[in-house]
Amino acid sequence: MTVPAFYPIFLREMLLFKRKLIRIGYLFSAMVAPVIYLVTFGLGLGRSVQMKDTDYLTYLIPGLVAMSSMTNSYTWVASALNLNRLYFKSFQILIQAPVPASAVMIGEVLAGMVKGLFAAGLIIAVGFVLAPHFLLTPLLGIALLLNCALFASLGVVTGMITKTHEDTATYNNFFILPMAFFSGTFFPIEKIPEMLRPVVWLLPLTHANIVMRRHSLEWDTAVSLVVLVLYAILFFVVGERLIRNYSE
Amino acid sequence: MIRIRGLTKHYGKIQAVQNLSLTVDAGTVFGLLGPNGAGKTTLIKLMTTLAKPDSGELFIDEHDVIKDPLAVKKIMGVVPQENNLERELTAYENLLIYAMLHRVSNSQEKIASCLRLVDLWERRDELVSKFSGGMQRRLLIARALLSDPKILFLDEPSIGLDPQIRRQVADIIRRIRIDGRTVVITTHYIEEAESLCDRVGILAKGSLIALDTPENLKANIGQYIVESISAEGKLVQSICHSREQANIVARDADCQVVIRKSNLEDVFIKLTGERIE
Repeated sequence: MTVPAFYPIFLREMLLFKRKLIRIGYLFSAMVAPVIYLVTFGLGLGRSVQMKDTDYLTYLIPGLVAMSSMTNSYTWVASALNLNRLYFKSFQILIQAPVPASAVMIGEVLAGMVKGLFAAGLIIAVGFVLAPHFLLTPLLGIALLLNCALFASLGVVTGMITKTHEDTATYNNFFILPMAFFSGTFFPIEKIPEMLRPVVWLLPLTHANIVMRRHSLEWDTAVSLVVLVLYAILFFVVGERLIRNYSE
Repeated sequence: MIRIRGLTKHYGKIQAVQNLSLTVDAGTVFGLLGPNGAGKTTLIKLMTTLAKPDSGELFIDEHDVIKDPLAVKKIMGVVPQENNLERELTAYENLLIYAMLHRVSNSQEKIASCLRLVDLWERRDELVSKFSGGMQRRLLIARALLSDPKILFLDEPSIGLDPQIRRQVADIIRRIRIDGRTVVITTHYIEEAESLCDRVGILAKGSLIALDTPENLKANIGQYIVESISAEGKLVQSICHSREQANIVARDADCQVVIRKSNLEDVFIKLTGERIE
């Protein structure tokens, strides 16, 4: 039986993921940031915040789903790829194997998506318990998949361009962390100062947050969906190109 | 099997490979000998599609490595200098992933056969992180053989191994050679190059400074070395083309001398004035 060319890359990541899951440290690291935010903003500050249409916890859960799917899809791919390329040299096995760059890209992105979906799944489970009006809508599901795909692809890009492992943390601090806070995860983007709003609209997580909170497809939701698709394609193409042109 | 012409590769201002040309015949073991930084690993990276040259031509089995790397990847196996096994996977899983990547048919039988070749079949379900350095090196060789490659590249296969494990690795390479594969091996172990290679290329500062059989290389500089210690305590070496000439040199010396056969390190020292370390 022949398997798709991306499958061994995906399988390798899944076997490693399975081993990591057995260790309690992995679950803890995947959950720690969203749980802290949930307790601090949702159960702590959130009790005194009233949103326009809903309670704050129901507002917050989709944001945390977007944020944790972003960080897990992105960080695990960027970090693993960077380490495998620069230190463990196991990425070189993929470059020397007779598989196209697109297959390597698909395998890495799918593996990143699984990690993002796993973390998001934990938040969704918490949401069902704590947020009475939280709904798992088809739009949330689609946005979640796109969010995982685009940030896993961005993770490949970062993993390929960083020159040291420390650079990965720098990218994280400059792009991912601010995005987590200013893209409508914890408060509506209308509350952000006017001059910063154009920047916020450029951030992919902003659009993931918009789609995840909607229950029906309206024109602005559709625009955000298209933006997510375009970002996913852009990062995928750039990542694939970086793998194809890889040279030590 | 391998045809290289005018190959050049820079890293910034460092010229790692300089206008290098050579050919390697099919079914032979070719050794690249040189000190650290001579360009051996860069040349292996260029041949195994891991690095792209700045200029020059590079053909393996009539496939252009630069224009058609996928064709070359299908026929090659690589044992890298640095252990790049997945440490958190078992030996079997490492080989299974590799077999899938290289579309190996009858992968289960081939994995078993390769693991038996390197005496690791009994340890197949153990994590690689629990293996010793020698076992990991043997597993790297098994992995490279899994796709039944026409050409095998071994970059310093014995580096960091104790003499006993080095001998085991050398035995495995001899068995591979019997299969009629082309083998390219880089090493800075003189004995390894002499005992395993049909032809040896000596690299220094990115350039190929000599290329011949080990016997011819040694014969060209002189087959005997007379060594003595000078009054200043320095090692003095005289190269002789015959045993008789060596005996005359020894007789004329006014101190104790040792006569020994020349080796590839003597060739290297003669050509570059440096030692291989």
